[in-house]
Amino acid sequence: MKTLKYIFILCLSLFTATACMNDFDEPNLDTPPYGNNNIGEGTTNIKELKKEYETTILSNGYEEITDDVIIEGVVVANDETGNVYKQIVINDQEGAIIIGIDDVGLYATIPIGQRIRLSLKGLYIGGYGSLAQIGTKYYNDKYSEWQIGRMSKNSFQEHVRIMGEPDMLQPEMVPFEVTEDFLKDNNNKNLMPMYVVLRNVSFEEANGRKLFAPEDEQISATNTAVERNVKIGNEKIIFRLSTYADFANEVIPVGNFDIYGVLTRYKNPGNSSKDYWQFLLSSTNDIVPVNDVNN
Amino acid sequence: MSKLLQKASLLLFMFSLSITAGIQAANQQSSRHEGYANNMSQDIPGSNSRGALNKEIKRDPAFHYADSLNVQGTEDASIQQNDDRDAFTFIEGQLDEDEDVIQGSSTISSSNDDYFLSEVGYLFSPMRFRIRAYENYYSKMYANGALLNDAERGSFSYGMIGGLNDATRNREGLTYIENGTFGGSDIAGASNINMRASEFAAGHKASLVGCNRNYLARAMYTYATGLMNNGWAFAGSVSYRWANEGVIEGTFYNSLGYFLAAQKKFNDRHSLSIATWGSPTERAQQGAATEEAYWLANSHYYNPNWGYQNGEKRNARVVTSFEPTVLLTWDWQINDKSKLTTSVAGKYSSYGTTALGWNGNAADPRPNYYKNLPSSAYDVWDLDYEPTESEIADWTQRYNYWKESKANRQINWDYMYFANRQANASGENALYYIEERHNDQMMLNLSSVLNHEFNNHNKISVGVNLGTTKGMHYKELDDLLGANTYGTDVDKFSIGDYAPTSDYVQNDLDNPNRVIGEGDKFGYDYDIYVNKLNLFAQYTYSKNNFQFMAEAHTEGTTIERYGNMRNGRAANNSKGSSGTAKFMGGGGKLSTVWNINGNNTLSLGVGMQKRAPLAYNSFVAPRISNDFVTGLENEDILHGEASYRLSYGPVTAKVSAYYTKFDNVIEQSAFYNDNRSVFTYLSMTGLQKEHYGLEAAIVYNVNSALSFNFVGSIGEAEYTSNGTGYLNSENSKINNEAQTVYMKDTKVDGTPLTALSLGIDYNTNGWYLSANANYYSRVYIGASQYRRLHDVLEKHGAFTPEIDADGNEVRKGLPSQYKGKGGFMIDASIGKSINLRGGKRLNINLQLQNVLNNEDMVTGGYEQNRDDYYEDGDERIYKFSNNPFLYYASAFNAYLNIGLRF
Repeated sequence: MKTLKYIFILCLSLFTATACMNDFDEPNLDTPPYGNNNIGEGTTNIKELKKEYETTILSNGYEEITDDVIIEGVVVANDETGNVYKQIVINDQEGAIIIGIDDVGLYATIPIGQRIRLSLKGLYIGGYGSLAQIGTKYYNDKYSEWQIGRMSKNSFQEHVRIMGEPDMLQPEMVPFEVTEDFLKDNNNKNLMPMYVVLRNVSFEEANGRKLFAPEDEQISATNTAVERNVKIGNEKIIFRLSTYADFANEVIPVGNFDIYGVLTRYKNPGNSSKDYWQFLLSSTNDIVPVNDVNN
Repeated sequence: MSKLLQKASLLLFMFSLSITAGIQAANQQSSRHEGYANNMSQDIPGSNSRGALNKEIKRDPAFHYADSLNVQGTEDASIQQNDDRDAFTFIEGQLDEDEDVIQGSSTISSSNDDYFLSEVGYLFSPMRFRIRAYENYYSKMYANGALLNDAERGSFSYGMIGGLNDATRNREGLTYIENGTFGGSDIAGASNINMRASEFAAGHKASLVGCNRNYLARAMYTYATGLMNNGWAFAGSVSYRWANEGVIEGTFYNSLGYFLAAQKKFNDRHSLSIATWGSPTERAQQGAATEEAYWLANSHYYNPNWGYQNGEKRNARVVTSFEPTVLLTWDWQINDKSKLTTSVAGKYSSYGTTALGWNGNAADPRPNYYKNLPSSAYDVWDLDYEPTESEIADWTQRYNYWKESKANRQINWDYMYFANRQANASGENALYYIEERHNDQMMLNLSSVLNHEFNNHNKISVGVNLGTTKGMHYKELDDLLGANTYGTDVDKFSIGDYAPTSDYVQNDLDNPNRVIGEGDKFGYDYDIYVNKLNLFAQYTYSKNNFQFMAEAHTEGTTIERYGNMRNGRAANNSKGSSGTAKFMGGGGKLSTVWNINGNNTLSLGVGMQKRAPLAYNSFVAPRISNDFVTGLENEDILHGEASYRLSYGPVTAKVSAYYTKFDNVIEQSAFYNDNRSVFTYLSMTGLQKEHYGLEAAIVYNVNSALSFNFVGSIGEAEYTSNGTGYLNSENSKINNEAQTVYMKDTKVDGTPLTALSLGIDYNTNGWYLSANANYYSRVYIGASQYRRLHDVLEKHGAFTPEIDADGNEVRKGLPSQYKGKGGFMIDASIGKSINLRGGKRLNINLQLQNVLNNEDMVTGGYEQNRDDYYEDGDERIYKFSNNPFLYYASAFNAYLNIGLRF
């Protein structure tokens, strides 16, 4: 009988001992399990970089970066709501640039306010609509030509390093205040993209019913964007909003707002007179009512 | 008396241990919770992809429980050889990822010494063979006459008796056309487990198993008093199955089983029995993958469900189940001719499966998500296509990533924790989490069966079976993976479709914006009520060498959904009662057995029945609303079979032919509709299926020690009509959209339609040797109903013929169904039974399965419910049609069982 009891107790203790097979400690995350943690300090700033490749960028070309160039900046736009897609924008205190990455859910590891380093050797820099972008070259079937495109997600992991935790109060998060005069000077378009704030503006379409980006208003069957407009003085800024954005079916707010985001330009390669100011909005949280005492 | 007390206290001790362990398991479970899964979609540049509930829910995995011998308290070497067959049954590979209930296709252990039926289940279990390809819900499992099937899904959950091999060995079985004594049989047969304590052979039994299957070790101890002079009998059994890591990487197994029974025979006429049992179990699952992923992982046993966390293997899909059951039986021998058996069975089961969930626009964390695979880089299937330099570079990069390290092709837990830490730092909600989906159930079944013999030639069995079931379906937040907050109970995947502030996105509109923490219910919460009343009568006439059987039954079924949450997408028809759908079914059968002479027997049987649809298939979007499927009606079944049995000298043989037709079949599939970015239910009505084929068994006894045998089954099982499909979506944007589903000619999946076996048995001096060469072919995988929808096919040009250069009409056909590779497998076993002093006996048995290590046998799988084209007709790069999810039969494995009887 003792033996039997022993067997039962053994079984029971085995059960108890192994019962918590699915309990795990939180991993140690001191070293981010993402990106390349060996990338060293920045060698240049974004403004210099854009200047160096300005001709390529403005002519919608692309060029491989063959030197050991490293830039460092803070993420000011990403894909958190899905309006920005497969892109992020990083900003240092001198300038901003678009990084094209063929991956989704980028905001999970590089939220707004996250400082990153980007090692550029082996990547490409170029222009799309004369707007500066880092990525890789890709063959555009539609136009039968090579263009600057998005780097693969594996490639991004090799070239990026995450620095510390996201911080919304660092100097790179201070936007440039856009004025009508600034917009009037066409040369400023060559500086794009820039992290900016549009002060005290309103959406022209806002009537209390109109939605940001409903499917039935998209530009065409294949272009799933809706255009909304904001004016500073007489200067128009086009918001291209994705019908896939989380806020696509939200009502456009009526009133005056400060809008934070990335100012861009789109210059039609076939028609240089079509050169527009555009705006990249990450989230409707960046549309702040001007009478909001908290801001 | 003191001896009795001693024995009783021993059993009580066992019982209390079991209960304690059970409670522990229950406690663990209540501290573990659940998640929500979503999936990225829409690879259109400039647009965003949106997640949604992703699991491609599939029903009916083939999955066998093959403890097929019907042995009443006796044991010999051949039984030992067949012992513990449920080791084959819990191969989770066969369970589809989202399978909620363990299903088993019970092998019929026929009452009339049928070699085919007694062997086929065990023999072909490595390939999940289902007799005649019948679905599992066409067989019934009784215990002392009480019906134990899950009324919602129809089938018996073998998890209910997991590990209790000794306790459930006393079984009798019936084929569809046979009459029995315990209740009605179904198309795929019926089994009745005898759980009366007095039926257990007195004595102790202990056994140890070592194997390389889902578990690695098992210990079992069973003790029974037999019927004692004072009219009492007690029996108890306890078992434990364990694997820190099973044969499939990243899985574990942790299961206790207990059984306790007592019986009091008051006199020759009355006896009362009680039995209670349960198997608190925690186990991790294997998942299916595409051939490409298997190729990259260099193994057909690659399991995408696990990943490293802190260097430890963690599985995202963990099943926690416990189905404690109590059974009370009153046996009343009214007189010499009449016996009344009345049983009540009750269970309260808890069944939870964990799954990864992710929010908003976060990336799909599953390592084998199609966008992570090399073939997403360019169309590798078009041999004429010349990939560009960057496409080749992309492909190579993906390929290298998969090949570089094992961690790269598994779940990256550290990444998810990191993402959540970043969310914490930004004041955002969890991006990744674990949810636990519950399918709990309360069941009560009452049965009363009267068996009466009028005389030697005429007997009847009449009875009533009354069952009520409450299925409780909800999910809980199980683990926030380091995140501080989950956020509120809104449907993150409806947010893009509606304004984030609108009522539509609320999962629980009566408690809007409820903040969800670990352990909280969220998402959905509803109950399904099923009541069944079955009345049956069987009449058997036998005289000389002729037997005639007739059966008739009628069955009433009610089905009701009761919503515990008011879902924002169905505010007026989700909370409270759906109303009750009522079905009146029934049927009958006739059969004869004609023993022409001692050596030739002919049997014939025909039957038909009308049966209610399964509650599981009855609601268009059960997690959202109370709406019943349009055109819900009884299923019609027509069946006929004939068999001929020959006994000639040393040869016995049996050949059978069967034909079964299922009409007005209703089925449902649920999946993430990538093109429309929404979780979708597809209910199909009006389907027709036919199953027909031949079965044969031949045994040639060379002498008393040596015999050769052949067992074979060649059948067809296919859809013979198209169905009407109704599409409904969880965001309520698609409402009962009716379309034809082109299912005609699609085969029933998950079982070899051809299975042949040639075997040799050798039995001498307590030694038992056997070997079988088995051949399998025509294993189909589950056809995606979505890919056979009218609209989807139309987009492909299936209905618009084009004229080719030669002037011929060209029409793109229906998708072809993937057929697994056939092939041979060899199994062998060797056993020895040794009689020890004092009537003790030791049995040693070693089973070797798949001796030649054939790793290329597909046992089943499913096509992806995704289309090769976008909604606008553009072709995708990744070809879902070429990438079904597959399961493979186990590699070479061994099972050593040492049993001692004392």
